[in-house]
Amino acid sequence: MEELGKIWVWSIKLAGYQLTFNVTTILMTLIVMGILIIFAHYASRNAGMVPHTCQLIGEFFVGNFWKLTVDALDEEMAKTYFPLICALFMFLWCCNVLGILPGLEEPTKDLNTPLGLGIMGFFLAHYAGIKTKGFKGYIKEYFQPIFFMAPLNVVGELAKVISISFRLYGNIMGGSIIIIVVSYLVYDLILPPFLYGFFGLFVGTVQAFVFTMLTLVYISVQVK
Amino acid sequence: MIEASLIKAAAYLGAAISVGAAAIGAALGEGYAAGEANAAISYRPRYSAQVLTTMLVGQAVAETPGIFGLVVAIVLIFAAPSQVPLTKAFAYVGAGFSMGFSGIGPGLGSGFPVGSACQGIVRQPEMSGDLMKVMLIGQAISQSTAIYGLAVALALILLA
Repeated sequence: MEELGKIWVWSIKLAGYQLTFNVTTILMTLIVMGILIIFAHYASRNAGMVPHTCQLIGEFFVGNFWKLTVDALDEEMAKTYFPLICALFMFLWCCNVLGILPGLEEPTKDLNTPLGLGIMGFFLAHYAGIKTKGFKGYIKEYFQPIFFMAPLNVVGELAKVISISFRLYGNIMGGSIIIIVVSYLVYDLILPPFLYGFFGLFVGTVQAFVFTMLTLVYISVQVK
Repeated sequence: MIEASLIKAAAYLGAAISVGAAAIGAALGEGYAAGEANAAISYRPRYSAQVLTTMLVGQAVAETPGIFGLVVAIVLIFAAPSQVPLTKAFAYVGAGFSMGFSGIGPGLGSGFPVGSACQGIVRQPEMSGDLMKVMLIGQAISQSTAIYGLAVALALILLA
């Protein structure tokens, strides 16, 4: 039970500032990136009319998310934002499912990963909003329905980042804590595999999908 | 010594209130969503796959206040410092109240859009993309009060 609060941290001093690196998160993120790059290499190599296994999995992802993106944005916009949406889901899904392999941990268990992705989504959505509506139209949105609602609208926009990232972090962190506590209580007998199945595979997939959908919806709210 | 254990006891009490109260709303909202989804499927069984997807996504979002309660409880149990002045004990109990009670309303409230979206999908299946979009936006906004509760709870634990 003592391992709950401990993280492997690597800190250096640079020009008077203390920089702290969470080594586990960095390593696991690199592993996920490696997996995705290898997968992409095998999926696009020898692509043909009769798909092989990797190409089939890749086409499954692309086909499904293309439909969702076109539903939320229109066809023209979807071409710009679809690669990001699909890649975001694949990255998050690999991150959330990584924990079921022994010895590896989910990078999303660290708040910094979801928060970074949430901030990325925030800036992207607002960039898309400014680009489609123009700066004037974008600012005008904040003064709807009446002008003194502006502070509340700004808080609401910022709260989106907090809610989207804490939702992912809390679910993955909560799941892994429940797995540790229950494994400790039953002496690692019988139950843990089912818990990994539920929290790792099921909750991980649903949360990755929810995060992706919310990023997509935030972009589509800004451009419409 | 007694002070430290009192403060620990306060942190445990706060953790229990936080997760206990926040779980009420999330559970009610998710149960309502599941009930509506069942009614929708019995009305038009052909769209059961779409209704199931919408229900699962919506429930995952409606669960957020409960997760916030869990996060605050974990922070209180494992990360709350106990070598602090006695007034901090009240801050810990207050953090539990803040997160716990602010979790009830959003958990319950963000279950309703899921139920209505499930009913709407079987009524007009071609609108399912729009329905899910509006559902997710509405849920995200109705959960802003839970985020205020979380912010106050974390401020009480870490800053007060």
